[in-house]
Amino acid sequence: MSKPEKRTLAGRIALDLIASVALAAALGIAAAVALAGVTLLFASQARAAEAPGEGLLLLRPRAGGEALEAPLQSTTVAFQVSGIVTRARVVQTFRNPGDGWCEGVYVFPLPENSAVDRLRLRVGERTIEGEIREREAAQRSYAAARAQGSRAALLEQERPNIFTTSVANIGPHETIVVELEYVETLRFHDGRFSLRFPMVVGPRYIPHGVADAARVTPVVLRPQEGRAPVNPVSIRVELDAGVPLADVSSPYHQVDVKTLGEGRREITLAEGSTPANRDFVLRWAPRREAAPRLAWFTQSEGGRHYALLMLMPPAATQEARLPREVIFVLDTSGSMAGASIRQARDALALALERLTPQDRFNVIEFNSTARALFAEAREAAPARVQRAIDWVRNLQARGGTEMASALKLALNGSDADTEVRQVIFLTDGAVGNEEELFRLIQARLGDSRLFTVGIGSAPNSHFMRKAAELGRGTFAYIGRVDEVGARMSELFGKLEAPVLKGITLQWPEAAHAEAWPARVPDLYAGEPLVVSASLESLEGELRVSGVRAGRVWEARVPLAGGAQGSGVDSLWARAKVGSLMDSLRDGAPPEAVREQVIALATAHRLVTRYTSFVAVDRTPVRPADAPLARADLPTNLPEGWEYDKVFGELPQTGTDSRWALLSGILFLLLAVWLLPRRRRLA
Amino acid sequence: MNPDQELCLGVECAWPESDAATRQRGIRRARLLIAAVLMVLGGWQFARGAWIQAKAWVAQVLITQAWQRTLAGETQVKPWPWADTWPVARLSVPSLGVERYVLEGADGATMAFGPGHLRGTALPGAAGNSVITGHRDTHFAFLRELVAGTTIVIETPDGAHHLYAVRRTRVLDRSDGWVAAQEGPARLTLVTCFPFDALRAGGAERYVVWADAIDEHKDRGGERADWTSHLL
Repeated sequence: MSKPEKRTLAGRIALDLIASVALAAALGIAAAVALAGVTLLFASQARAAEAPGEGLLLLRPRAGGEALEAPLQSTTVAFQVSGIVTRARVVQTFRNPGDGWCEGVYVFPLPENSAVDRLRLRVGERTIEGEIREREAAQRSYAAARAQGSRAALLEQERPNIFTTSVANIGPHETIVVELEYVETLRFHDGRFSLRFPMVVGPRYIPHGVADAARVTPVVLRPQEGRAPVNPVSIRVELDAGVPLADVSSPYHQVDVKTLGEGRREITLAEGSTPANRDFVLRWAPRREAAPRLAWFTQSEGGRHYALLMLMPPAATQEARLPREVIFVLDTSGSMAGASIRQARDALALALERLTPQDRFNVIEFNSTARALFAEAREAAPARVQRAIDWVRNLQARGGTEMASALKLALNGSDADTEVRQVIFLTDGAVGNEEELFRLIQARLGDSRLFTVGIGSAPNSHFMRKAAELGRGTFAYIGRVDEVGARMSELFGKLEAPVLKGITLQWPEAAHAEAWPARVPDLYAGEPLVVSASLESLEGELRVSGVRAGRVWEARVPLAGGAQGSGVDSLWARAKVGSLMDSLRDGAPPEAVREQVIALATAHRLVTRYTSFVAVDRTPVRPADAPLARADLPTNLPEGWEYDKVFGELPQTGTDSRWALLSGILFLLLAVWLLPRRRRLA
Repeated sequence: MNPDQELCLGVECAWPESDAATRQRGIRRARLLIAAVLMVLGGWQFARGAWIQAKAWVAQVLITQAWQRTLAGETQVKPWPWADTWPVARLSVPSLGVERYVLEGADGATMAFGPGHLRGTALPGAAGNSVITGHRDTHFAFLRELVAGTTIVIETPDGAHHLYAVRRTRVLDRSDGWVAAQEGPARLTLVTCFPFDALRAGGAERYVVWADAIDEHKDRGGERADWTSHLL
């Protein structure tokens, strides 16, 4: 063999060897990468399985809840606004599309301070006026009519803002109309009026201890491609503002506005009707020079005079801003998933940016449990605020709504030092245990002030208003992301300006006035004093006084010469019922309160927790042998909510332990088998 | 040179080894490498599985102490300082010799250590529907042994013992959240994953056991309606 030949051969063999080693290495690495990939995949699934998976508890609709034979329901609402009061007529039409007889049960919301004072049942040309009865008696007479085959309607109150209509014996292909009316004092704040009409009771989280859960959780339709939302609503507002108007707007619905005069408008939905899946809001602002300072409505009824007062204190002068301790509480439960959590995160980030280094702050988020960002409130140094903003930006909404634990964390009952302590609570209020939470707020408030910010398309207005009232703060609503800036800066205005405190009303002796609320709450910037009174005479004048930033404010209102109003008596009775119900929380004897409410509600024909409207058409129409099927009418999911986040799932209850053990053993066995056996030498 | 000697000297002196021998040597090395990788992966997987099981059972032993302190009057006793849960009841099935401490919260982090009480439902032993969930391959593996009539005992923090009798069992879907509904008589609702022998986590089926408080059973006598039937 020649030398070059030998070199070539040696080189070739060396190359062969390198190639085979490289191949083996590549194979090994490929196998390892593949296996590691597979293992990692399993491992990540196992981690996912171990991640907190709690959160259901909103009762998922049971199979069969979408019965085809359920009657169809549609609603027409007509509002008549005059000044600061609106009367609404809500017409609910139940149509039975089937061949059998049915009973329809519809759970729906109304404004939380509405005084429902009329019910009519209409079948064809016939109209039957409803009567107000003690609740159990009304239920009995409705049940009797239902059993006899007579048409009947029953209207009950579940919460101040949740009502149930039941209609019995709707014949095959028949239509029955239930008409109810309510009056409401409009909310005037920050220079404009707002009318809010809720359309859907959003799904609610029901913790243990809510006895009437089934009555406030109507079946919710799962939104589906190609299925139209149910319960269409059409709306018409006759607006007589009493003052020249600058602006009328509806932030969540397209509306047509027809100008009828300087202060008069007619508003209708541009598209005729809308699915009942979010609050309808109408806002109007008087021209600046015509902004109302005082509204005084009176109505004489049965020898007494009923009065409604709205009085706007003069604007506060800007004072030096006091250092504050601000606790932000953010609801991150499943019902907040989707549009709501985006609104809430934006609002909270904006609020955090507003802090100054002299302030102290903390952020609490809650769903099935509550977590605070810091162990206790910290100085709002820019870097720390930025950290909080980043934390908030990453919060996701899922799980239950254990609001009590968040409130306990935020309201520790301790008296703050000299500084102002403010708790800002951002939530949709989708809970069924409002009363428990109200008691908690009352017991633990201390020197803190609680401000509620209602988030999303269908916030629980009863919770927002009452929690703020008991928390001696005020409330605001955010229904869309593009409203966050405006609504939050209004709220900051209230948080930072001095409040009008110690408001007292001095009525003339001869009037023997009975005014509600008995204790007037502190007033925040841009908010008026609203009082309902029952008076024996309209002589003399009412003197109102209060203190703001060390300065005394006084106003006088002559009782005579008020504008004639209607429904003022209902509003007064409604305010008194509200105060009586509140007194239960202060330990008033329940039986005595119940009797007082029933007497008052019967005299003024009001629906309350203890009184209901019932209307019965005496003639039996259903043949004795025809069966009656009860149908609970389903409701829509509020707009922007995510069905699967609201109705959680049963927790993940398995681990990969067996898989891990088994695959581990298999791998090990395979490895042993693959180990090169000792080479046999000849 | 002796070829055998060359072999052990390595690549430089591989001459005059045949191609076949070279290839075989390559394969041997590849096998060795794969075996090593499999060893590591197998070891890791095995350790992981063993860790889940060990955590589950060691934790129950640690919780014993916390439960004794709870019975002595302390509240929300954390079994270890960094725990974010605490025992709320002791669940036992005398006929099976089963004894488990139920922890507060039915999330994955809690269920690694014991069956979890679903927040918002009644506490075990209280009126209402108490929902307890557990892993089918650790603490709640015994659910498959439960049959109608089996007695379950719940010891509450006040030391009282509440008796329950299994009423029925059923396989449901994880979306059947209504099992947490609070209406109806005092009862336990025990939930675990199904099928019991599944190797992997993440299935959609759940095995649900309903057990009614025995006292209430007596009170209402034989007229009791099958309250679950309207739900199912």
